[in-house]
Amino acid sequence: MSTETYPINIWINEERYEKLQQVGLAGMAQEMLAGLKVLRVPCTEEQKDKVLKLFPMAKFDAATTRSIELLPRDVKDKIFDTVIANKKLDIMDVFLAGC
Amino acid sequence: MSYVGHGGKEIIERVITDPSEAAAKIRGLAKIPIRGQIAREIIGIAYGFFSPLEGFMGKADVAAVCDRMTLASGAVWSIPIVFDMSDSELAEYGIKEGDTVLLTYQNQPMATLEVEEIYSFDKVKIAQSVYGTTEEKHPGVARTFAYKDKFVGGKITLVNQPKINEPFDKFFLTPIQTRQKFAEKGWKRIVAHQTRNVPHTGHEWLMKGSWLQTHGDAPVEKIETGLLVNAIIGEKRKGDYIDEAIVLCQDVLRTAGYFREDTHLTSITLWDMRYAGPKEAIFHAILRTNLGLTHHMFGRDHAGVGTYYDPYDAHRIFDQLPPGALDIKPVRVLEWWYCPVCAEVAYMGLCGHTKERQNFSGTLIRSIIQDGVKPPRLIFRPEVFDLIMETAEKYGFGSPFVTDQYLQNRNPVFTLPPMGA
Repeated sequence: MSTETYPINIWINEERYEKLQQVGLAGMAQEMLAGLKVLRVPCTEEQKDKVLKLFPMAKFDAATTRSIELLPRDVKDKIFDTVIANKKLDIMDVFLAGC
Repeated sequence: MSYVGHGGKEIIERVITDPSEAAAKIRGLAKIPIRGQIAREIIGIAYGFFSPLEGFMGKADVAAVCDRMTLASGAVWSIPIVFDMSDSELAEYGIKEGDTVLLTYQNQPMATLEVEEIYSFDKVKIAQSVYGTTEEKHPGVARTFAYKDKFVGGKITLVNQPKINEPFDKFFLTPIQTRQKFAEKGWKRIVAHQTRNVPHTGHEWLMKGSWLQTHGDAPVEKIETGLLVNAIIGEKRKGDYIDEAIVLCQDVLRTAGYFREDTHLTSITLWDMRYAGPKEAIFHAILRTNLGLTHHMFGRDHAGVGTYYDPYDAHRIFDQLPPGALDIKPVRVLEWWYCPVCAEVAYMGLCGHTKERQNFSGTLIRSIIQDGVKPPRLIFRPEVFDLIMETAEKYGFGSPFVTDQYLQNRNPVFTLPPMGA
């Protein structure tokens, strides 16, 4: 039985892609729309609830994408930086511990 | 020159333009402050956007809208346009039928209201008939239930014309001005694109496709078919695109050459969306009839919200109208998506790569913009993306989306100048 994850979509521009390449994570970026790549940082249900509580402007899009959306840009920058620093995608506990 | 609007009635502007006449007209009248929605609807009525309405609806009109989707006169109409007051307000201002009162907004005189009727109406009935639900989480139902307990019907006359503020001033055209603009352009067929969005290429192709459908069998040597992008400007909710981004980014599609100068025009209409799906589609068709359009594009889930309506309910409702009920033709369109096999934006009615399609999800597009990551030009025109970021800085306090700060501090769309009365 697979457990649903509740991803945070981080869109990848050239600068972010280079950083992903440097830590060997470029292959984790998925092509989503007309070649635009996205890094889907997974959250467990518990992590999702914490994110939504910490950042009330965010929402979980249950209807279409089933992802956590509308996080401020600086928050997503920090999540991305945490991915790079830890060289892995599963970083939400680390990120939330620092909030 | 006279212009015929919805229901075959001439469009009449209920506006007093002479300041001394206006000052005399309002002298001694009881002043009633109104909220933004009512102010926007007064503008809609006074300039003829809502023709044949000449004022806020009386009970017979509201009943006919709920029972038959018409006015009492028989003309098709789908959404009640009402002015609500509480019993205590009616008592406080001493308002009774037969009075004329002055409606004020932004602490300035705005319009007179001839109080023809004070009545109550079953709000549950309005909600069920207009929205097909009584669930308060539907924003239109919530708006209906928030109305105060009495409605005041009667003709309005605008006595203080609003000053439309930058950047909207270039885009506000009354129905008569819109028709004059169409005549200047020599347009014979004009299709409306209703919008509350910053355009991605899926929207752009909706417009281009509907233009092609509208142009149809018309001659090609001299283009006499136009597209009017008519942005709805009204009450904002947190997370919406800011109004300035919507209007300016729609317009840049023409100035950047994605539409020809002689086929595209951007304008605004002041209206608080009801999210009434099919019923709102009918209302939009009426509105654009009054603007002089011949065709109106309706896409998937037009004016819908949540899962209250089938995605194509707003198409089907036009089949229920008797012939000749509307003087505008619905242009019904399916979705456009990005197809990685075709390597282009493709039409659902033509592209066979259904499994491979990549949908233009509004949520994803907003997520991309939020990240400030420039999408491929096949998805978002670079001029549009750059302008979104520019408007965010100039008008949105750093955000292209509505925030608390924007709601509290934005420059209003219009202001009423002091009248000295």
